[in-house]
Order: sequence, then C-alpha cells, then structure tokens
Amino acid sequence: MTLIRLQRAAFGYTRRPVVAGVDLEVRAGRFFGIVGPNGAGKTTLFRGILGLLKPLAGSVESSGVVLGYVPQRETLDALYPLTAQEVVEMGAYRRLSGLRSVTRADRDASSALLARVGLGEQRAARFAALSGGQRQRTLIARALMTRPNVLLLDEPTSGVDRSAQARILAILRELHREGLAILLVSHHLSMVRESVDEVLWVARGTVRHGSPSELLKPEQLDELFETEAAPEEA
Amino acid sequence: MDITWAERIDLFRFALSAALIAGLVCPLIGVFLLLRRTSFYGIALPQFAAAGVVFGFVLLPWWAQHIGLGDVTLEMALSDTHAVMNYHLAWAALFTFGGLFALVWLGRRGGSEIGRVAAAFAIANAATYFFGRLSPVGKSFVDELLQGEILGVGVHELETIGVLLGAVLVCIFVFHRDLVLVSFDREFALVLGKRVVAFETLLNALVGVGVAAGTMTLGPTILFGLIVLPPLAARPFASSMNRFLLFSSLFGVLAVVGGVVVSFEWDFPLGASVVAVAALELLPALCMRRP
Repeated sequence: MTLIRLQRAAFGYTRRPVVAGVDLEVRAGRFFGIVGPNGAGKTTLFRGILGLLKPLAGSVESSGVVLGYVPQRETLDALYPLTAQEVVEMGAYRRLSGLRSVTRADRDASSALLARVGLGEQRAARFAALSGGQRQRTLIARALMTRPNVLLLDEPTSGVDRSAQARILAILRELHREGLAILLVSHHLSMVRESVDEVLWVARGTVRHGSPSELLKPEQLDELFETEAAPEEA
Repeated sequence: MDITWAERIDLFRFALSAALIAGLVCPLIGVFLLLRRTSFYGIALPQFAAAGVVFGFVLLPWWAQHIGLGDVTLEMALSDTHAVMNYHLAWAALFTFGGLFALVWLGRRGGSEIGRVAAAFAIANAATYFFGRLSPVGKSFVDELLQGEILGVGVHELETIGVLLGAVLVCIFVFHRDLVLVSFDREFALVLGKRVVAFETLLNALVGVGVAAGTMTLGPTILFGLIVLPPLAARPFASSMNRFLLFSSLFGVLAVVGGVVVSFEWDFPLGASVVAVAALELLPALCMRRP
C-alpha cells in the first residue's frame, strides 16, 4: 500500500526550488535513507515530505496517513521542565482538544513506549537531564505515540556516541521488522548502508533513487561527492 | 490613631484583591514568556501600556469635545481617572498590542531579540515622558502607577482586572497543553495538525490583555515583578510542566501576601514591596542547580 506519493515535486524557499523533479512512493514496511552532501537539500526534501513545506511544483499525497516525526533533539529547548513522560504524551495531543486531558490509556501507552525504547526507569526524569541518546529515544517514543503509519527521523544518530547509535538503530530495525515504514535523514553512510531498503541520494537539486548497494558503493560515492575520498562516518 | 490589620484589609480590600488576582495570573503569563525566551517582553510591554495611558490623557480634551465620554465631563475625567477607566484601558491595550505586534513582526525578520526589546523599551519609555510633557495629569497618574501606589484601586478597577485576568486564567487552564506544545516543538505541532498560528496568536493575545489590564490597574512596577520573578523562582523546584505553572502562581500569590505585610508594617509602597518579596523568593532558586 502506498502511504506517501511525490510526483515531480519541487521544494524550496521563497519560490526558489532547492530540490526538484522528485518522484517517490513510500510503501508500508519500506525503510528509506535520505543521504547526500551538506547543503544539498536533504532537510528541504524531508520537510516537504512532512508537509512543513508546500511543494513549489508537482504534488505530495499522504492523506489519511499519520506521520510520526522525530526532530533533531538540539532543536528542543532544555529550559522546559518537561518529564520524559510528558514529552511522550505529546504524541497523544492530536487526539485531544480543549479540556480533554490525557487518558489513563494514553498514560499507560506512553509508559509502555518508554519501556520499549529502554527508558522505563526514566519516565519521571526531566527530558533536559537525559543524555543525547536517551532524549532521541524519548522522541522516537513520542512519534510512536501518534500511532504512525510512517516514521520520519531527522538525523537521529547525530551527536550521540556509538553505543547510543547502536541502541537507536536496533529500535528502528525492530520497528521495520514489525512492518512500519521508516524514512530517515542521516549522514552516517555505514548505518544507512546496513539498515535501509532504499536510498534517496540528494545532490545538486536532484534526487537519485536506488538500493544501498547500488548508490553507496565507494566509487559511486566518489563520483557523487566529486572528491577522491568519500566523507564517511562520524 | 493606630488602625488594626483588619481595618486596613477592609479599607484596601479592592487593591489587595486586585493584587492577589495579579499574583495568581501574571506569573502564568511569565512562564510562557520565560520558556519562549521572551521574558524581556514582560518589561517592555508594560512600558508601552504606560505610554498608551499617557497618550490617552493627551487626547482626552479632543476626545471629550468631538466624541464624548458619556455622562462624564472633561473636568471629571481629569480629576478622577476611575471615571473613564475603560477609555484609559483601551489606550493601554492599543499600545500594548501595537508594541507586541511590532516585536513579533520584527522577530520573524531575525536579528537580536534582546536588542529589539531594549530598543522597544527605550522608545516606549521616551514616549511616556514625551506624552507626559503634553499632559501633566497623565504623567502624574503614570508616575503614581510606577511607584506602585495601588491602594487607591477601586471597585471598577477590581472588576476590570478580575474579568480580564480571569479570562486569561481560563484560557491558560483550557489550552495550556497546546500552548506548551506549540512553544516547545512548533514543527511537531504542525505535523500533528494543530492550529499553530491560532495558538501563537492566542498566546500573544493573553500576554497583551494581561499586560494592558495589569498596567492600567496596578502599574508597570508590580506587573514587571509578577511576570518575571515568580517563574524564575519556581523553575528549579518544578519537576514537571504542570508543577511549574502551579508553583509560579503560588510564588506570585506569596509575593503579594508578603508584600502586603511589608507595606503595612513599614509603610512602603505596596507594589514595590511585592516586587521586593518576589526578588527574595529568588534566593533559594539561586542556590539550586538545574539544567
């Protein structure tokens, strides 16, 4: 089943396209990695898929599909005295309005999701006091709280140590095995190569689409980066 | 002749009630200003409101002659500001929302937030004195407000602040969850399909109404203090968002109660006493370390 369909889509700012001519079908159970050099338009494409940018041309269809968004944790202000559980419960706010408060079922679900990402003991801890990897896993739990059809993650392993990266990746692989469609932006090419089904390579305003073995070969990377040494692995 | 505490409380019941309402609600406005890193708005906007009040006084003779003030004559309006309270409140609100709109609009163009707010404060402050030169009555009224002499608050001012800050309190109670969400993670709120712009507009409206009503009734001094200080005092003790809101209000009410004691015992202006007690509440927070 097709969850998100982009047809000849162009995205950019102030009417100037950053990426154009994007065709993409995100089907249930597929794992996509969006990669490319810095400033190539990965985030612009990602924001377009999320609906945060309107297409300048073409179309984006995702009606009736729930998107579970995991932002980069650095974008969230540590000043807020929110607990990990309060952050996860935000995922239930789509179903709530006005005076309706978070239900017991929502509270139980958020506790279960925190336990699932390995943070059952930290649910009353301040979000800002958690480590980078723990905060990222909290945000994954929050996205899952929305009961998504597609999980979209923006650089989930950026700035965390290798063990935290491994834990995040293990969670994503498990969700993938359970049939959740996943779309992730990352500059960790080895992680993308080992995990995803399909790669979207964003460079020079265009998007190339292929398998990891096809697009992430060293000689291919040299060509794509227009340099001898491919930038690899933080 | 000594007057007892009970007599003082009875005599100044309107002022004390208005201060307690402000102590309960203004810190909640301050919580959102603090979290959105716009606490300086809490200092600049009351100054806009004060400038608006003085401007209203400048325009009062023309207004009385061409538009009218109902049953109130110009002489009555100038000698008793309570008589045209709504007129002054309208000017305070107009200038507050004007200042708020300018700050939000300029904020979207980027640049230094602190610099912008400092410039806004300087302009509003100068405008207050400029208009004050044209209307000495307005200037003396605002000077009284600045000193925090709020004991003259009457039933009309109490009703006004009760209704307006009551409405702010109800809105925050009903929408606090969404207001926190759009402030904490705007993009996530957009992806959830929340009406982010509507909630941001609501938040700005709550700030504007609270500041205009508070400045007109209690003056900028007490309002500065109650918006900025209680949330700062409460934050290190708050282990969750709801507790942060609750503790901020609690610190605000305690500052008012403490300020009343200081003011009555040592004969200081009530507004300044409230702010002094709110400042003392910061001491435990300064001893704690929290992220």
